[in-house]
Amino acid sequence: MAEDLVLDTAIRDWVLIPLSVVMVLIGVLRYFVSKLMRSPATSPSPDPKLVKEGQVVIRARNLRTNAQFIPAKAFKARKVYYTNEENGLLHVPKEDAQKAQAAMFSDPNMAMDMMKKNLSMIVPQTLTFAWVNFFFSGFVAAKIPFPLTQRFRGMLQNGIDLSTVDVSYVSSRSWYFLNLFGLRGLFSLILGEENATDDAQKMMQMGGGFGFNPTMSLGAEKDSLDIMQHDWALPKMERHAEDVLKQLLKK
Amino acid sequence: MAAAGGVSTDDVPILQAENLTSNVKSVYYSRTFLSIIGGVVAGIWGFTGLMGFVFYFLIMMVASIGLLAKSKFSVQAYFDSWTRISIEGVFGGLMSFVLFWTFAYDIVHIF
Repeated sequence: MAEDLVLDTAIRDWVLIPLSVVMVLIGVLRYFVSKLMRSPATSPSPDPKLVKEGQVVIRARNLRTNAQFIPAKAFKARKVYYTNEENGLLHVPKEDAQKAQAAMFSDPNMAMDMMKKNLSMIVPQTLTFAWVNFFFSGFVAAKIPFPLTQRFRGMLQNGIDLSTVDVSYVSSRSWYFLNLFGLRGLFSLILGEENATDDAQKMMQMGGGFGFNPTMSLGAEKDSLDIMQHDWALPKMERHAEDVLKQLLKK
Repeated sequence: MAAAGGVSTDDVPILQAENLTSNVKSVYYSRTFLSIIGGVVAGIWGFTGLMGFVFYFLIMMVASIGLLAKSKFSVQAYFDSWTRISIEGVFGGLMSFVLFWTFAYDIVHIF
């Protein structure tokens, strides 16, 4: 059993607390920077064709989610209106599909947006990691309150080359990574639902409404609508109302 | 929480998507908040090893019971399944718990 180290209070005051405070502030700063970089993208007028296709996809999805409230004949008529192979709203001719793909590859705004997003994620992490390495290298920063095996030594004591120190003592680099992963919940609390770090969900939401590849969105929605099984809810509701009335009449 | 739909004895789920999304978000925020507070409490209390993780799952269980009481024990009226309120999101706050547990434990017991 390795000896328990007595960590100096100066380590707490000048390594642990500044590192944590800087991690929180960099998260908040990254949120505002990405918000500033995002806002000019909405000011130029969007492509009317893209807006139209996005609206068509949204309408088709609304039909798919609320199909149980209309009878089968009405649903069939709307389904044909959307998914007809000749002139349906969700039908994309092949030449249009090829044109859309070419436009997607040649669109500079899309690449610019993705590059901005990548920059707002990678640049702060790189700078913070360099800062941690420069100022706090070699410090035993913290002690993890649960035991770990020797296998974690290379990961948790990265920057401390002592084999006799217990594995639960971690370096400042490990504390940086623990902050990086652990502060996500705190950011969602203090920054709200517009948190820029949750880019995966935002990408899915954007992809659903106004897709990057319109032909893919239209085709996916058409397939979903084709395979859908219609089930009218109103007869069940009438039966439910009948049961409720019977129960009321019993009293 | 807002009622996502009426209680239906049939097998047709009638749910309002916006209210359901808001309910799921409330569950996520409450679990995250309790993870952070639980981490600080576990650190100050001096839990180490397995006791800390048992404390975490105990807090998650209390959160599930609290959310269940908040929805007046009628899960069908607010969510689309039982797992939304009892199981989903339990492991999401574990990293926040470990971070604040370590921080509070070190401030109080190590330095």
